[in-house]
Amino acid sequence: MLLPESMSRVVVVGTKSRLDEAIEAFYDVKSLHLIDHTTGADGISIGSPLPNTSKASERLLKIRAMEKELAIGKATDVSKVSVEDVRGQIASGGVENVENDVLKTLDKRNDLNQQIAELNAKKKNLGILSKIPVDLELYSGYRSISSTVGTVESDPSSALQSLQDVEYFVSFKKKEGGAVAVFARASEKDKIAAALSEFGFAEISVPDGSGLPADLLTLVEQRLQALDAELEAIKEDLKAHQEKYKTFLRASEEELSIQIEKGEVPLRIAVSDHSYILDAWVPAKKAESVKADIESRLGNDVHVEIEETRGRKLHDEEKAEERFKKAPTKQSNGLVAKEFEYAVSLVSVPRYQEIDPTILITFFLPLFFGFMIGDCGYAIPFMILGAFGLRTTRHKDWRAIATVLFFGGIWAFLFGFFFFGEALGMHFVGVGGELITDGGKQVSWDALLKVDFPDWFSGILPEFIHHTAEGEIVHHGVGKLVEVTFLLKLSVYIGLVHLVLAYACGIANKARQHGAKAALFEKGGWLIAFTGIVVLCYGLTRVLFDGDGFVGLTLYLIVVGAVLVLVGTVINFKMEGAQAVIELPGLIGNVLSYTRLAAIGMSKAGMALAFNYIVFGMIMGISTPDFHVSPIMLIIGLLMLGFLHLVVWTLAILSAGLHALRLQFVEFMTRFFDGGGVKYEPLRIKREKTILYSKTKEEV
Amino acid sequence: MAEAEATGLIAIGAGLAVGLAGIGSGLGEKDAAAAAIGAITEDPSIFGKAMIFVVLPETIVIFGLVIAIMAFFVL
Repeated sequence: MLLPESMSRVVVVGTKSRLDEAIEAFYDVKSLHLIDHTTGADGISIGSPLPNTSKASERLLKIRAMEKELAIGKATDVSKVSVEDVRGQIASGGVENVENDVLKTLDKRNDLNQQIAELNAKKKNLGILSKIPVDLELYSGYRSISSTVGTVESDPSSALQSLQDVEYFVSFKKKEGGAVAVFARASEKDKIAAALSEFGFAEISVPDGSGLPADLLTLVEQRLQALDAELEAIKEDLKAHQEKYKTFLRASEEELSIQIEKGEVPLRIAVSDHSYILDAWVPAKKAESVKADIESRLGNDVHVEIEETRGRKLHDEEKAEERFKKAPTKQSNGLVAKEFEYAVSLVSVPRYQEIDPTILITFFLPLFFGFMIGDCGYAIPFMILGAFGLRTTRHKDWRAIATVLFFGGIWAFLFGFFFFGEALGMHFVGVGGELITDGGKQVSWDALLKVDFPDWFSGILPEFIHHTAEGEIVHHGVGKLVEVTFLLKLSVYIGLVHLVLAYACGIANKARQHGAKAALFEKGGWLIAFTGIVVLCYGLTRVLFDGDGFVGLTLYLIVVGAVLVLVGTVINFKMEGAQAVIELPGLIGNVLSYTRLAAIGMSKAGMALAFNYIVFGMIMGISTPDFHVSPIMLIIGLLMLGFLHLVVWTLAILSAGLHALRLQFVEFMTRFFDGGGVKYEPLRIKREKTILYSKTKEEV
Repeated sequence: MAEAEATGLIAIGAGLAVGLAGIGSGLGEKDAAAAAIGAITEDPSIFGKAMIFVVLPETIVIFGLVIAIMAFFVL
């Protein structure tokens, strides 16, 4: 469970004439992780794609283009088709037939679109020209006169008046802008344009035709209407096409992609004139069955040999040939732990030779998250949201978040109920035997609901006794802002366990990779130094906080701690030099880093306390156990309560989630995790939408 | 009077502890996060490693928060 699955390397040699059958067999065993062939000393080069692949690629390209035009995508709802049907249809030119049909309609649509665009441009020009009372045929057909027609932003009449031998028409309205037509000698055209340019002139072309522009405009509008109707009809046609062909297109896209993927396998293996050689990794426990399977399917035309089963010593890896060096990592985790593989892969894929931290993360990540939340009221929405996310989403990022929320929510509920005994920042049972303290600054659920909860609602821990000037105060349940020392100590202890576990994993890794002696020198020294620092610090806190002198147990602790630190550092010094000394203070930092478990919880509790005071103390005015709240204030208060706690809850996702993850990534995994493995990716067909199934009901 | 003064000083101290530690963390994270976002844009697979570097300075503000909490509730 902790280590990735053991891997064997196999070589498959066979006759080239049955390569296509062999490729089918390789995909059917679903466990060959191909090792790409590189032309080496053997002089055999890679093969070329299977004969039908290029035809399939061509068809796939057409299908994708059509899917884009018809707006068929992954989200399109299609029914299932059997593999034989699709293959038959493709073979009998189905793709080409559909293409003809669809292309014809598409061509028509494009034609229409172009015509409509042209007519629209014409319509716009005619609209401008209709402001000027000149027939269309009068704009052109002169030998020595040229017309300049266009739009202007301001009225050019005064400027045109001053020009000689010029006939002009101006229609200008301040809001709509204006149109101008100027008739002048052909040789003066540039001059006219220069004069007009000051008024924001933009020339337009005069459409062919005769009569008044307004009359032609009506004709154009009628034509446009007709074309729009035609376009609508074609759009309907395309919709009908989409409906008619979507199943075939999606199914054949999948089938052709698969054919291409299979057809390109020869590019990754060695192929000579008459044979092929394929190297692959197979999970060791499946190696024999894979061998038998392939040999039974291809008979005498294939030979499968199991070359080696890779051990966990790094030495094995180093002495192997370059392309056989890295065995792929196949993580073997259960259903729940699998969801956390993504979190680990954010750092890196584990190496073949090291412990896969997934199962540890699966336990600790939600645990830390839950401890930091530690509140029934927030836990339940977390669980609901997480469960909803796990049911609905397939996207791996969201799934990872949903998983943490769901399992973290469960832990948060357990901690909230059995440890802290609180919901929405309020204890079920009044702290210190008081239901409402400080004039409403702290209330408890039993005071609010006016019911008596049994004792075990205040958590399973024994009561805390605080000694104050006024005498002893007894507290039931862990108050996040009351038992601060206890919580801080507890989080440090949790940190110690977590870190020691990390060191243990580190030693186990090194022992497996290099042997026990190397493990002692590489990781054992750190464990010793770490233990020493912890013991030493414990001794020192007794001196600093408890006022002990340097005598008795305290002295022993300090001396033992110091000796352990020294021994550990000496061992580390051999391996790492000065770094062994420089990193020592960091160890204390790592342990104290775990105080965030308590601190984040407290910051949330602080916010919840303030918000609860706003709602119950200030809005509802609850200050004594026999309170009375008016219905309006009750409604306003409850709305505010919902909103304010939503704020705390949302912040909790960010802070608790991120910090829980950080403790895994930084404090925990850096102690033992190298990463940089190759992910195990066997030859296997992924029919994501399972559009295809065989008529014989067998998964293909 | 003296007690109120002491409480006030504790509050100021706690505020300084969180505030200054927060500024420190912020300054540290600012550079790391900017660089990390640039790097992730190039290669999204390094998200985890980048996040580690970004949140490393976060510890400082937690220390500040712990000290503030201790100043208020423990000492």
